[in-house]
Amino acid sequence: MGKFLALPDADEPARPTELTPEEVSLLMDGELDADRAERACHGLREVASVQTWICYHVIGDCLRGDGAPMWGISKRFAARLAAEPTVLAPSRARPAPAAVAWAVAATVAAVGVVGWVALTTMPLPPSAIVTAQRVDEVRAADLRRPVVNEYLLAHQEYSPTTAIQGVRPYLRAVTADPQDAAK
Amino acid sequence: MRRSNGAAPVTASRRPRFGLRAVFGVAALLWVSLALADDATGWLQQAAAAAKQLNYSGTLVYQHDGRVETSRVIHMVDTTGEHEKLVNLDGPAREVIRNNEQVRCYYPDAKIIRIEPRTYRNAFPSLLPQQLDTLAAYYFFRKAEIARIAGLETQAYVFEPKDGMRYGHKLWADLTSGLLLKAQLMNDRNVPIEQFVFTDIQIGIKIERDTVRPSFRPPPVDWEMRESLPGDVVQQDTGWLVKELPPGFSKIVEGYRTLRGKVAPVAHLVFSDGLVAVSVFVEPMPQAPQLIGLSQQGGINVYSRQLNDHLVTVLGETPGATVRQIAYSVAHR
Repeated sequence: MGKFLALPDADEPARPTELTPEEVSLLMDGELDADRAERACHGLREVASVQTWICYHVIGDCLRGDGAPMWGISKRFAARLAAEPTVLAPSRARPAPAAVAWAVAATVAAVGVVGWVALTTMPLPPSAIVTAQRVDEVRAADLRRPVVNEYLLAHQEYSPTTAIQGVRPYLRAVTADPQDAAK
Repeated sequence: MRRSNGAAPVTASRRPRFGLRAVFGVAALLWVSLALADDATGWLQQAAAAAKQLNYSGTLVYQHDGRVETSRVIHMVDTTGEHEKLVNLDGPAREVIRNNEQVRCYYPDAKIIRIEPRTYRNAFPSLLPQQLDTLAAYYFFRKAEIARIAGLETQAYVFEPKDGMRYGHKLWADLTSGLLLKAQLMNDRNVPIEQFVFTDIQIGIKIERDTVRPSFRPPPVDWEMRESLPGDVVQQDTGWLVKELPPGFSKIVEGYRTLRGKVAPVAHLVFSDGLVAVSVFVEPMPQAPQLIGLSQQGGINVYSRQLNDHLVTVLGETPGATVRQIAYSVAHR
């Protein structure tokens, strides 16, 4: 994805482990040398860096038009957040970027590049924490809509893939989720 | 499509040398494209014949959407025809049993048996005259590497799409028997999105008839039998059409069928580009809320939309864009 200009953070010099936005961008593009890449990977242990990393991927996906994987990205992100012990640690003194809000903003507007600059200075909204705490309710099945069996079986009869592979493509219908079987 | 136009003979009589060259050129082009198509379809027919005629038993791994599912596949041929059994080895022990034209799916977890009429099994090789052109026009077909799969030497073949309306296909066929041992669907970034692969297989072995019979025999009395009868598929003009069919697809069947759980017969139109198919289902809008929009599983994309008081559902082994375009161009004559 393209480069983003880093804003010099005059008020708060970067901590040793936290990445600047530019570093995240360079890391994603594979343009850091081995030493800086190593340091950058360490830096990704920081919540803020991870959030920037995810935000950039969301923006990149939007710009490339890969809209589909966005479904539930905030939930998946929240799930990852909860899985990381550092994520729900007591709040730090400085404000953290609102990656969840970014994801939503980028999804809706697909112009996250501009919004990013403004959002960096926003505190993490309480809703993001709440979302993170509800992750145990999130299941992968919620994010993927099953293909209705009845149509799939009717289709399979006529598909050339059935002619060259025999009964194998029927696996698509019989490996569906248990609750789909009755559909 | 690659035929010489009508002007050629006139040009030939006036300027014989140039005309002769033109005729040769056109003939050579025609020959090359036919040879390419012939190679692709000829090879596909060979793979289809191997899948039908050989006895084989193996472990099949199906990968899609980050899942891995393992099954046992047994196929045998005897004097009564083809018999095939597929059993899920992971999770619920679902099975698919095929006896010639009839396919039964057993769902022990849901206590359901679905019995499907198999009406179209052999239609693929008979599609040839038009598909011969279609395959060459919409896919680059090439022989790829020799690879070892399930302990056997295979030849890989690639169908690379020339437009964004279809997926790429990579197929690995056993060098000795021609049987497909691995099949991959690739998206536009050449990333596999679905894969069937044998991890071990025995080909040409003796198989007892009993090994391909259903495990649930007779089915437990509390199981529900859901059966579509062959008469449930009536081929006729439905009045529905697709105004902007993606290039290369042509209609191979049209009619009404009774789908279980549907009150009224559902119009079913099938379009194929020779390698994959797209089904269009049109039914009166059901009372119950319906999933509208795109859904996906492995290489299958489905797009549903409401068209006045009808529900249109388009499903196929194609990218989402293809099923969406078809869904939005369905109309009634």
